[in-house]
Amino acid sequence: MNFIISSSALLKNLQSISGVLNSSNSLPILDNFLFELVKGELTISASDLENTMKTSVKPDEAKEDGKIAIPAKLLLDTLKNFSDQPLAFSIDASNFGIEISSDYGKYKLVGQNAADFPKSPELKGASSVKLKGDVIAQAIDKTAFATGNDELRPVMSGVFCQFSPEKLIFVATDAHKLVRYTRTDGSASKNSDFILPKKPLNLLKSNLTGAEEVEISYNESTARFNFGTIELTCRLIDGKYPNYEAVIPTDNPNVLTVDRVSFLNSIKRVSIFSNKTTHQVKIKVAGSELTISAEDLDFSNEAKERLTCSYSGDDMEIGFNSKFLMEMLNHINTTEVVLEMSEPNKAGILLPSGNENEQEHILMLVMPVMIR
Amino acid sequence: MRAIMHMDLDTFFVSCERKMDSRLNGKPILIGGTSDRGVVASCSYEARRFGIHSAMPMRMARQLCPEAIVLRGNSGVYSKFSDEVTAIIKEAVPLYEKSSVDEFYADLTGVDKFYGCYKMATELREKIIHETGLPISFGLSVNKTVSKIATGEAKPNNKINVISGTEKPFLAPLSVKKIPMIGDVTYRSLCNLGVKRIQSIQEMPMEVMEKVFGKNGIVMWKKANGIDNTPVVPYQERKSISTERTFDKDTIDTKKLEGLILAMAENLVFQLRRGNKLSACVTIKIRYSDFQTYTLQKQIPYSASDHTIIPVAIELFRKLYNRRLLVRLIGVRLSHLVEGGHQINLFDDSHIIGLYQAMDKIREKYGDRAIMKAAGMEAKTLSRFNPFTGEPPPLLPHRRA
Repeated sequence: MNFIISSSALLKNLQSISGVLNSSNSLPILDNFLFELVKGELTISASDLENTMKTSVKPDEAKEDGKIAIPAKLLLDTLKNFSDQPLAFSIDASNFGIEISSDYGKYKLVGQNAADFPKSPELKGASSVKLKGDVIAQAIDKTAFATGNDELRPVMSGVFCQFSPEKLIFVATDAHKLVRYTRTDGSASKNSDFILPKKPLNLLKSNLTGAEEVEISYNESTARFNFGTIELTCRLIDGKYPNYEAVIPTDNPNVLTVDRVSFLNSIKRVSIFSNKTTHQVKIKVAGSELTISAEDLDFSNEAKERLTCSYSGDDMEIGFNSKFLMEMLNHINTTEVVLEMSEPNKAGILLPSGNENEQEHILMLVMPVMIR
Repeated sequence: MRAIMHMDLDTFFVSCERKMDSRLNGKPILIGGTSDRGVVASCSYEARRFGIHSAMPMRMARQLCPEAIVLRGNSGVYSKFSDEVTAIIKEAVPLYEKSSVDEFYADLTGVDKFYGCYKMATELREKIIHETGLPISFGLSVNKTVSKIATGEAKPNNKINVISGTEKPFLAPLSVKKIPMIGDVTYRSLCNLGVKRIQSIQEMPMEVMEKVFGKNGIVMWKKANGIDNTPVVPYQERKSISTERTFDKDTIDTKKLEGLILAMAENLVFQLRRGNKLSACVTIKIRYSDFQTYTLQKQIPYSASDHTIIPVAIELFRKLYNRRLLVRLIGVRLSHLVEGGHQINLFDDSHIIGLYQAMDKIREKYGDRAIMKAAGMEAKTLSRFNPFTGEPPPLLPHRRA
């Protein structure tokens, strides 16, 4: 197996899939890229057992089909230090010896048997849907931050995707905050839902440019994303997603509308004075005045700010984790936001005020902290 | 040079009782748990003549002095008297620390320039005796350790001023036991080394102490040499809250034990909420009848709600209780405390937070045990003090060993 390829083209392809590689692997073979040369087409794969990412590239010249697993870190480190130039790879299938020739000299390394590399799972009985890259990138951006880290509740560590002929819904929650992102400009042929883990979502996000068309195929256990030259296959999170619709309160008589950026900046400043572990801030609304306050008794730190807002409802005092509020406000783009509340013990709902995009609906929910 | 004053109310509980009933004057008095497991919390000097000392089992004390008057004590009354003394000290000195119900440190640094530390300390002592009628002793020196030892030497009802520079000769002839951190165990190992007087430690190189006792050895050596830089801290932040309970009779009744654990955890969680605190670590302690003591702890996400902490406490207890032996003591501790309100969970029952708030309101109005889980009702006496006022934890007069 021999081929010649431009070093920068190869590096670009490797870097787009290298995110799959874990820093420490249980199987040594997973520290390798799998190179497969078939009919002049080079396919490179990386895998962590759960996720497999493939990319294909046409080498400048290719001879003899074949397969080899090449140590990933060694290869990446080498390529990073080359200026753009053709590299000749020649692989001895009998002893897995790899020889790379560049303008500067020769490099020899030993690969592993390609047969040991885990196969990417087959998709049996898959349904598929085609979406704009931009829609997926937006959905990931708006939801992924709200996923949880609790190992005891793995379903919450992913994004719940609910596809139907009318709309696509993406939901993420860690039991303290929740985001529901709905798109009406995409549809699936039939109703289906699955939970995507966080890692493939991040891999997708870093590889999507926005303009491309992404084909998503999925069955009960696996999902596959095809776009450009990249194919990402991931295992889905197995389990039942909590009934999130039931916990979104519908009757929220207290409605606060406030300028997003000034609200965000106020919270940012005030939260510096809150307790460093709990980050709690208190929000008080009376008439058209919004007061944000925080204190850290350990250091006698205290901050209080006032903002004007428009408010309809009873006077309220409610406590929140400022980290949650800031994350949410950062993921909304409109100039004004609406905060709907019912009671100090019940969820607050954060909505963008007015829609920039008719096809897009965002609902963010944040649970308060008990205040005395 | 600092000037630190240490004050200690002499036989505090006894003095309180005598203040309320003058017939007790001049008689041997024991205050402490009256059950078989009870220990002497405080005893009058008349009783000490019989060889009785505090922390001695009550049974033994009664054998030594059968004519002694035994009182169960009332911590509520004692802390009220203690607060009166605190109020006087607070008014008189710039910086004070209440290290327990009957002990105080005051930082008089700088007073010398205008007034005279010893004069001021003496006047403060006289004022306390005059206004409260409680005998008090003090020691004055350059740091907390020397002052505390000096107070011990001054007692009963007297005062000592250790003039700056004479700390080492003052300490030298005293028994090593007088150093606050040296308990029975350390004392025994020091005796085995032939060290009985503080002077011997002073003459030893610090490295030897370090070799024998590790880090503590260095601290001990420093204290023996009259070196102690710890400041007088006016407000002690609580790092953990806990309750424990020794049974009159060892028990193997797991229903009762679990009920008690539940009641303890429920009470502590209420204390958390009342103090606007959250905890991230639950610890369970069991002491079996053979005095083997075991603890088990678990980290949890920051919480102050019954339904997250109580199940953890019960689960830990079930895991830890595995010896099929009689149990002498059980306890619950919540640590890793931070300031803040409980983060409400989206998927919990929406009424539960309202329930907690209602229960807390009832408890604040009618007392800690006005409302509780039925499973914990059998646990009758749990501490009722608020742990987050910066006060030292009360020393229960009727505790058990």
